[in-house]
Amino acid sequence: MSSDSERFAEAEDGGPQPEKHCGHGRGGMGEEVKRKEDQRFITGRGNYVDDIKKPGMLHCEIVRSPHAHARIENIDKSRALKVDGVVAVLTAEDLLEHDLATMPTLMDDTQDVLVNDKVKFQSQEVAAVIATDRYTAKDGAQKVVVDYDVLDPVIGADKALEDDAPVIRDDIEGKEDNHCLDWETGDEEATAKAFEEADVTVKEDMLYQRLHPAPIETCGAVGDYDPGKDKLTVHMTSQAPHIHRTLFAQVSGIPEHKIRIVSPDVGGGFGNKVPIYPGYVVAAAASYVLEEPVKWVEERSENIQSTGFARDYDMTGEIAATEDGEIQAVRTDVLADHGAFNAVAQPSKFPAGFFNIFTGSYDIDTAYGTLTAAYTNTAPGGVAYRCSFRVTEAVYLIERMVKVLADELDMDPAEVRRKNFIQPEQFPYESATGWNYDSGDYEKALDKALEMADYDHYREEQQRRIEEDADKLLGIGVSSFTEVVGAGPGQSCDIAGVEMFDSAEIRVHPTGNATVRVGVQTQGQGHETTFAQIVAEELGMDVDDITVEHGDTDTDPYGLGTYGSRSTPVAGAAAAVASRKVREKAKAIAANELEAAEEDIDWDRESGQFHVTGAPDRSISITEIAAGAYMNHPKSEEPGLEAINYYDPPEMTYPFGSYIVVVEVDRETGEVEFEKFVAVDDCGNRINPMIIEGQIHGGLAQGIGTAMLEHVTFDDNGNVTGGDFMNYLLPTSMEIPEFETGHTVTPSPHHPIGAKGVGESPTVGSPPAIVNAVVDAMSHGGISHVEMPMTPDTVWEKLDEAGLSMDPADNVSLEFDDQQSGGTADD
Amino acid sequence: MEFDGEFELEDVPPEKAWVVLSDPIAVRNSLKGCQYITPMDDDFSYDDYEADEDAETLPEADPEAVAARAFVEGQEYAALMQVGVGSVKPRFETSVTIEERDEENFIMTATGTGTASGSSFSMESGMQIHPLEDGEGSRIEWWTEADISGRIAQLGSRVINPVANKIVNNFFSDIETQMSDVDETDSGITDRIRGML
Repeated sequence: MSSDSERFAEAEDGGPQPEKHCGHGRGGMGEEVKRKEDQRFITGRGNYVDDIKKPGMLHCEIVRSPHAHARIENIDKSRALKVDGVVAVLTAEDLLEHDLATMPTLMDDTQDVLVNDKVKFQSQEVAAVIATDRYTAKDGAQKVVVDYDVLDPVIGADKALEDDAPVIRDDIEGKEDNHCLDWETGDEEATAKAFEEADVTVKEDMLYQRLHPAPIETCGAVGDYDPGKDKLTVHMTSQAPHIHRTLFAQVSGIPEHKIRIVSPDVGGGFGNKVPIYPGYVVAAAASYVLEEPVKWVEERSENIQSTGFARDYDMTGEIAATEDGEIQAVRTDVLADHGAFNAVAQPSKFPAGFFNIFTGSYDIDTAYGTLTAAYTNTAPGGVAYRCSFRVTEAVYLIERMVKVLADELDMDPAEVRRKNFIQPEQFPYESATGWNYDSGDYEKALDKALEMADYDHYREEQQRRIEEDADKLLGIGVSSFTEVVGAGPGQSCDIAGVEMFDSAEIRVHPTGNATVRVGVQTQGQGHETTFAQIVAEELGMDVDDITVEHGDTDTDPYGLGTYGSRSTPVAGAAAAVASRKVREKAKAIAANELEAAEEDIDWDRESGQFHVTGAPDRSISITEIAAGAYMNHPKSEEPGLEAINYYDPPEMTYPFGSYIVVVEVDRETGEVEFEKFVAVDDCGNRINPMIIEGQIHGGLAQGIGTAMLEHVTFDDNGNVTGGDFMNYLLPTSMEIPEFETGHTVTPSPHHPIGAKGVGESPTVGSPPAIVNAVVDAMSHGGISHVEMPMTPDTVWEKLDEAGLSMDPADNVSLEFDDQQSGGTADD
Repeated sequence: MEFDGEFELEDVPPEKAWVVLSDPIAVRNSLKGCQYITPMDDDFSYDDYEADEDAETLPEADPEAVAARAFVEGQEYAALMQVGVGSVKPRFETSVTIEERDEENFIMTATGTGTASGSSFSMESGMQIHPLEDGEGSRIEWWTEADISGRIAQLGSRVINPVANKIVNNFFSDIETQMSDVDETDSGITDRIRGML
């Protein structure tokens, strides 16, 4: 028999708990329950925004600027209005009449919904055409004639900060440059001193290039104003429906209780669907004005070119260390491109997100970081693409720099890591920049990864190839990252001022099954299964008897949404705490049914039954208790069996892991092939290992896209030259190697079920492992860094610089394989 | 983006080449994707205008009609161009102004702007016809400087350049045929047109 305190310590108990075998056959913690949502997804019955059809629904197409920087002189709607089927053309002037011309960004900047005066990035929203069908809306959009006075565009944060750069934000009173913000953390003086006195210092410049989350479903909305009820419903691709409702109320002046946001099935978010976009506002406003439902769904190129990008951090990293590889200080300076508006999706108290976690997994007591951000004539962004607020950039910086240091010292990069890890007994650990790590056992994860990767073998093989002057070099990359996820706590983390708590509500029905409503929303993470498993575990119910609902602000409790791996750390905690509240009430009902005193009722996690202390046979199930709650409730209690919890986490959680990547680098072509890809993750106690594995696979694929393929590029005129899937390359199954995943379990001491969150670990942890591997293949030639994306030409140039490239002519073979030459075309 | 080039017509004298290149209909016929080039006034409407598809050119055309419609310095012309570039096929509503026509030295320059769904361009173009040093033929030199924005520009020069080159090459090979046809006719006609210009 086990009790709560034995299995999962409550928050106040503290201290990491050992891994326990989970699973009682009811689909609780640790069981590989098949995803409940897949029934509808794999049978084509998902319901995405673009699947929504309403009687009389109109369609919206947005007219976008071909110029990156231009003043609008005139907009002529007349030709568009003559197109048969075009109902209305909206411009800033029309929105001004309804006080909807501007919207706040997540950083409280002001962005035009439709450009009122000056276009600030290519593809910015200029007008909207509303028509009876989508084709007609597109035809109409072609007929909107906009006269532009084209201005010189400002592309690149470095150019933006030059003295003679054209001022983009002349809409901000007194603004005479393109400077957006400065930020600083750590101890400048102590860090400078450490660098002066250090045996060894290393320095490297690296660009974390502009990426786009590129969810497979683009953004869209159906605005549906009901004049009868005076209520506005907006179905939209939202990762955070409640906060979007609050923002809609603030922007439109419509009372919040008269607004309903529904986020139906969403095909991937990755941070892209956290901000509010003009298209949502236009669809809602058009519906309000026309009193008909209005649908807006953007195209792929519109998504990449106008919605929140990620990264674009131009970083310099420095490490000071002793000769034997003990890191004494780390320093960084960043130039950030924020685009045309300050619309980064960060808690308002952290303008550079959680970048100040750049000391990583290492016990470094001296650190200093600075950052300057600039406005440019590019789309606004800086969203947390499958990560928590700039932690990806921080992890890339420190994990790259440790490799640079290892090469400088001619030490094994795994050894340098081992030497500097924060030790298990140091937790809770406060970092040099004031972060409070909850728990970790970094060496354990690294050791496991080294073993799984057969590290020593590949080191020998690498050496052999160098000695034999082989055509393909081997590189081994290590990344021992620490993530920070699960924002709040509310007092330090907010979105647009609202504290980052989350919520869960459980209603156990008279026949013994339950509906769980959560404040977070899913974009494919498997919430309907994961949260059901938490409740199944905590109430002793069968997972099939639990339905999880989310994404509807009319019915779900308020929550801050899904991003930054916060669903399990925050809403998952709320689900566990709400379950325990239900359990407490269930005990009272059990006492009534079993004719015992309430304090004599125990709950057995293994069987899921409530029983009289010392008499396991006198037991009752939650199903029977549910009936009792409605049909024979004790007079000491209210009828019913429900609970709600709003959970404000005491701290964030710190998942970690070690990834080892082995690559082959072709000296002729610069092509990189993955030889081995090992990912060991520690996300605390594991709820559904199969879902975790799926999350890891997806994130690793995105990490490979980051390292090898993806980059949103611009030409000097501000044209987006990496703005569609022809030019912005996502990895396909062809580019993805087989992954070997493993795990260790170091529970979070403050989380009710010891879980930490896992969705973003692979995106955060894998890019530096991959880059480290490619650099490692060439480090004997003096190469210390390769910029992402590491396309064959980028790699080949580095090979050439190191004197390692091979002329294809040296390697031409005229010998034919007998079998191949004897084959036929049909083979 | 800058494009330029030159080509030679061994048998066509500059005077005849000039007449053909001064005819909006002849130019339209040689420009792939161009539906019309027509003088533009304040009431012009791209939606309502219907091009005369069958307008004759030299040598069949009435010399007086050819002379009457020839490009005029300072005049603005409307042109509708549909070009397939990569995966998109925008329909450019273009306005072109003839900035200079030097009848003596056979120089013509023009500026223009065009807009299509999601794309726009502005350009400055020119051409000059030189007599060949040997014989009666012409050497035609041309140049264009274009600023392209939006969807077309996003495709990048590796997609745009081949399309631009193809349009230009098609244009000159086609106009060469037209000029050769004209050359076979009585030079009195082209002289008459030149006199009327």
